[in-house]
Amino acid sequence: MDAPAISIENLTRRFGEFVAVDNVNLQVTPGQFFGFLGPNGAGKSTTIKMLTGLLAATSGRVRILGLDLDAHAIEVKRQIGVVPEGMALFGRLTGPEYLNFAGRMYGLDRDTAAKRSAELLEFMQLDREPKKLVTDYSHGMQKKLALAAAVIHGPKILFLDEPFEGVDAIASGTLKTMLQRMIARGATIFLTSHVLEIVERLCSHVAIIHQGKLVAHGSLEELRSGVQAKAGIGDDSVAPPERLTLEDIFLRIVGGSRTDNQELSWLG
Amino acid sequence: MAGMSQASLPPVSGMREQLAAIATVRLQIFRNSLRTMRGRAEMVSWIFMGLWFLMAGLGGAFGLGIGAWAILSHGHPEWFAVLLWPIFVFWIFFPLLATAFSETFDSANLLRFPLRYSSFFAVNIIYGSLDVATMLGVLWLTGTAVGAAIAAPALSPWTCLVLAVFGSVIILLVRTLFSWIERWLAQRRTREIMGVLFFLTIVAFQLIGPVVRHLNRNHFQLPDYLSQAVAIQRFLPAGLAASSITSAIQGEWAGAVAALFALACYGGVFLLLLHRRLLAQYAGENLGEAVSRERQVVKKEEARSGWFLPGLPGQLTALMEKEVRYLSRSGPMLFTLVMPIVFMLILHNTGRPNRVGGGIGQNANLAFPIGAGYTLLLLTNIIYNSLGADGVGVQFLFVAPVRIRTVLLAKNLIHASVLGLEMLLVWAAAAIAYQPPNPAIVAITVSAILFGAPLDFCAGNLLSLYAAKKYDFSAFGRQRASGITVLASLGAQIVIIGVTAIVWLTARAMGSLWFAVAIFAPLIAVVFFAYRVVLGRVDEIALRRRESLIAVLAKSG
Repeated sequence: MDAPAISIENLTRRFGEFVAVDNVNLQVTPGQFFGFLGPNGAGKSTTIKMLTGLLAATSGRVRILGLDLDAHAIEVKRQIGVVPEGMALFGRLTGPEYLNFAGRMYGLDRDTAAKRSAELLEFMQLDREPKKLVTDYSHGMQKKLALAAAVIHGPKILFLDEPFEGVDAIASGTLKTMLQRMIARGATIFLTSHVLEIVERLCSHVAIIHQGKLVAHGSLEELRSGVQAKAGIGDDSVAPPERLTLEDIFLRIVGGSRTDNQELSWLG
Repeated sequence: MAGMSQASLPPVSGMREQLAAIATVRLQIFRNSLRTMRGRAEMVSWIFMGLWFLMAGLGGAFGLGIGAWAILSHGHPEWFAVLLWPIFVFWIFFPLLATAFSETFDSANLLRFPLRYSSFFAVNIIYGSLDVATMLGVLWLTGTAVGAAIAAPALSPWTCLVLAVFGSVIILLVRTLFSWIERWLAQRRTREIMGVLFFLTIVAFQLIGPVVRHLNRNHFQLPDYLSQAVAIQRFLPAGLAASSITSAIQGEWAGAVAALFALACYGGVFLLLLHRRLLAQYAGENLGEAVSRERQVVKKEEARSGWFLPGLPGQLTALMEKEVRYLSRSGPMLFTLVMPIVFMLILHNTGRPNRVGGGIGQNANLAFPIGAGYTLLLLTNIIYNSLGADGVGVQFLFVAPVRIRTVLLAKNLIHASVLGLEMLLVWAAAAIAYQPPNPAIVAITVSAILFGAPLDFCAGNLLSLYAAKKYDFSAFGRQRASGITVLASLGAQIVIIGVTAIVWLTARAMGSLWFAVAIFAPLIAVVFFAYRVVLGRVDEIALRRRESLIAVLAKSG
């Protein structure tokens, strides 16, 4: 049996007294398109940072493709691609220069890096302005470039922190096409997103983190069934299982505090 | 929201309220920075340096006060300009020569608020003037004013008025220079024009020597030359301020008022130029190098491979290439790197050319070591904060399969190459302006640099990890180095200069300057060993410090 693509055991991260991630256990099997969801401040980005080596865990263990992240950091990083929260771009390079640089940092030779850069720029429709500095790119262009840099070496696992945030429909379509191609090739994708419609359409498995704790995980069907069972048959407030969207499931599991009754009279 | 109308919106605050709000925010940011250990260390560093500068300011003020008193009480008011010119030159050149101590408040972030232009302008002037040069300049002018007031109490209101206008003119001039230089350096074309102008200036400077020599041969006496310079300086700000005070002392009030008026006119011109720049910024000017949509030429380019440096691994080469691209695209950084040559030209023109054994700048044997030392000093700006310009890109360095030691080694190699190139240029400038420096002096200077540079790289690599500060290569003088970094850098330079002085004196005592090279050899071996040890430890340190590094460098704004 293959080792899990991602294996998280008792992962905890504290910031002083505050526990951002609390004893999380999770396994992602190879080839899964995995959505990691949670409300703001739930611990999603902290978790993804710990999985990609950007943040140290207070305790617990992370294994990527069977390798311990702390002990084999460089070997793990060679096999993964990451688009972190800030996109990690070098603003004073042009798009082709940045992709060339990224390719060579991941160990590609000069010619391969150049060839793949050109292909990726064309695929992402970023090849129209080769002299433009990354800092002058629009937000959507930067997202596409960051994704291109993360996949240039053909990673086995891709970690994406909010890849669709602030991206228009056209750029979003390009990103989705690329991610689906990667899944078809057998890669594993682990993403966080607030755009639940996209997660529902792309992801086969989902985990929900709330206040640092993992509160649900499984396939979408498993989550639907779980919510339906918990709510009980005959409860009118719950839609039938086939109609439950990921947003319904998310709100059921995480809950939401309503502010309808609070009045901000000065807003007019 | 339907019921919302223009009438329900609050009116735009007045300038005073807006300035008060900005001051409050700055104070809150400062207070919040003290929550962290690093913030407290920063404050201690700046207090320490502030005390040092305060002593320099008070010492200078005392000296200038004595000078003003002596000049006026001994009946030589025409010499007053001698006191004002050094203040003027220092106040303008120090922020350009030592950008780590200067910070123009980057007010672009405030533009999203309904900020009045007057507030925007005032913020730029007030916060832009909170720097070391202004502090020293104000103290020195105050000292001069006190000295003059003691010598001529009846004229003290006029002296104070003139000196206040003089100080204001300098502040406006410095702010104008900063804002326009930033504008010129922001785009490739203007950078190229600036480059051409710079080289023309160098050529022009080189012509001054032969012209003066030619005039000397034709019995053009130096005193005449000096008297011409004196005549010209009377029409420049420092000369006008001195002239106004001198005329008042001599009872020629028409001349005094006219000189003050001319000085104020200079202020008016600088104000107008600054206003043009700030108005463009206020209107949301973009200084990026993006080509406008109309001018875009859609042209597919052949895939271009990155650099190939024989014998060096691909990762190291890619990192070096990236570093060179960053440096070459930074107008302000290029400006900083040409300053040693400018500095040499300034020295060159402070004395008679080709005179051997004169004061500083009067011969190549002094100019070359000074130029080389100044080059190393300028490079400390980037060596001690080498990750600063990477900004959010630092995240990439932590998610990519690369060791931080490789990253820092690549940066060090590029910075060392820049240092080598600069030293060659300084040597060439010294050779052209004076004569080729003595080989023993060249050997000692190179040895001292081989000793000092690795020492700076050791300290710089550690401070780049422990006290990193986000640095925008495209902004000129809008950012100040970390206080800890400045203090540590000053300490390292004192050690380097101290050791070099001891070695040089020892060699002189032994009868030959070449002994210095022999004494330096083991010291160089020691610092290279130390460099290897530090480089071997940086991965561990970076891993431990990655959270705070990313937090500092990847923060927005």
